[in-house]
Amino acid sequence: MAGLDYTWLLDPVYQQWLLKGVGITLELAVISSLFAIVIGLVATLALTLRIAWLDALIELFVELFRNTPPLLQMLFFYFTLTQLGFTVEDPVTGLQKPLFSAFASACVSLSLFGGALCVEAFRSGMEAVPKATLEAARALGYTRLGLFRHVQVPIASRVCLPALTNVLTNLFKTTSQSSVITVPELMYAAGQIYNDTFRTLEVMLLVLVIYVVLVSLLAWGLSCLERLFAYPGYGNGG
Amino acid sequence: MKKHRTLLRTVAASILVLAPMLAHADTLSDIKSRGVLTVGVKNDYPPYGFMNAQGKTDGFEIQLARAIADQLLGSPDKIKLVPVNASNRIQFLQAGQIDLIMATLGVTPERAKEIDFTVPYVSAAGASVIARKEAKFTQWEQLSGQNVCGIQGSYYNKLLTEKYKINLVNFTALPEAYRALQDNRCVAMAFDDMTLRNKLEQPDWKGYKIAIQPYEFLPMAGGVRKGDETFLKAVNAAIVKTEGENKLIAWEKQFDMPASDYIAKRAEAARAAAK
Repeated sequence: MAGLDYTWLLDPVYQQWLLKGVGITLELAVISSLFAIVIGLVATLALTLRIAWLDALIELFVELFRNTPPLLQMLFFYFTLTQLGFTVEDPVTGLQKPLFSAFASACVSLSLFGGALCVEAFRSGMEAVPKATLEAARALGYTRLGLFRHVQVPIASRVCLPALTNVLTNLFKTTSQSSVITVPELMYAAGQIYNDTFRTLEVMLLVLVIYVVLVSLLAWGLSCLERLFAYPGYGNGG
Repeated sequence: MKKHRTLLRTVAASILVLAPMLAHADTLSDIKSRGVLTVGVKNDYPPYGFMNAQGKTDGFEIQLARAIADQLLGSPDKIKLVPVNASNRIQFLQAGQIDLIMATLGVTPERAKEIDFTVPYVSAAGASVIARKEAKFTQWEQLSGQNVCGIQGSYYNKLLTEKYKINLVNFTALPEAYRALQDNRCVAMAFDDMTLRNKLEQPDWKGYKIAIQPYEFLPMAGGVRKGDETFLKAVNAAIVKTEGENKLIAWEKQFDMPASDYIAKRAEAARAAAK
């Protein structure tokens, strides 16, 4: 590929924008992944209690956040909540300040979006636990919590790991959409730089490589986890 | 076998003939054969380019673009207006989707590396800052470290972060940036002075003021692809002729722009050169 010009990379301002972008992308991905997993676990645990109104509530949450674009959710948290009065007074300027910063808005919507996907991934894992196994455990006198901890979770977690890998890599890439609400993550930095240098192709290529590397690392980590957890009959490795 | 060789020769010959044509793309003959000039313009940027009450794109630069089409192709209607914005117009030009940019394009050395500028036709104030009336800052330096709303692709973005250490919160489109300012997501908004002054005349912007004046004036010009010399010359001649006819001064009045010495002087110079 002749003619690629990466001299702009020598500019300290662009370096700073890019580094900050990578950092914020990682922060967004880590925070929202953790919250997504927690939301997914809590909701899945709640589903095992078989309380009708709770089930309906969780189903509503999943439908709402899984079936709407994360971009819309971010714009909603960023713009709409302040108009609904979610503001605090800034002691320095005396002005009303939004309760959620752009970064917080992105974290909240990514966590909820990821959480909704996690619920589905975990639920599929739970449903994969054979009925006979559950009955056998019950016959052995496991309590509901014991059954959950010692039988359902060990089996379900192995079954749903590949699905979780999908959810988390998806979530990682979705962080790029927060550039629209001005979170200075990697895509935002890229936009700033190619709008300044007009080296669109070069900037895109570099960002593409960074995303490939980061997402591959994440997927590799999770596949290691899959191998570590491997158990005959459930998940990878047999 | 023989048939193949003939085919091969034909292909090779066509490549030899076509290659120089591709290398020296001549937009002027292209638009003459097409019979239409494709111009990238703003449609959200009064007074330069905006949607008028009839839903048609109109404005200072639109009138000038139509005058150029008139001179090159014989009719102001032989024009196709493509809406562009600050962050995609140079890409549109480079990709061949438009022949000419007439979209509030400030002349900067960075852009001159990528495209060729026509003669400049306006001297526009650079960025100024709007903020709530109660805001106390009056100097760019006072915004250091503050969140200031802006637009991606504005030529001064790098300078504002580098020199004044402003934390720019950049949107891709103006409506979001205005919304964010009203939501107090930024203490102020930095953008082209002319646009901000226009905005302040709207009723729901009564509580805002120009808090900081522009630190520079910048000539605005059209943009064409690099090395497209015949086309550039033709466009320049058309702009200078239009200036000499005092048309730019008339459009200034028509679109409520303050009368600028720059445009008046260019009109004088164009007439002097024509003699």
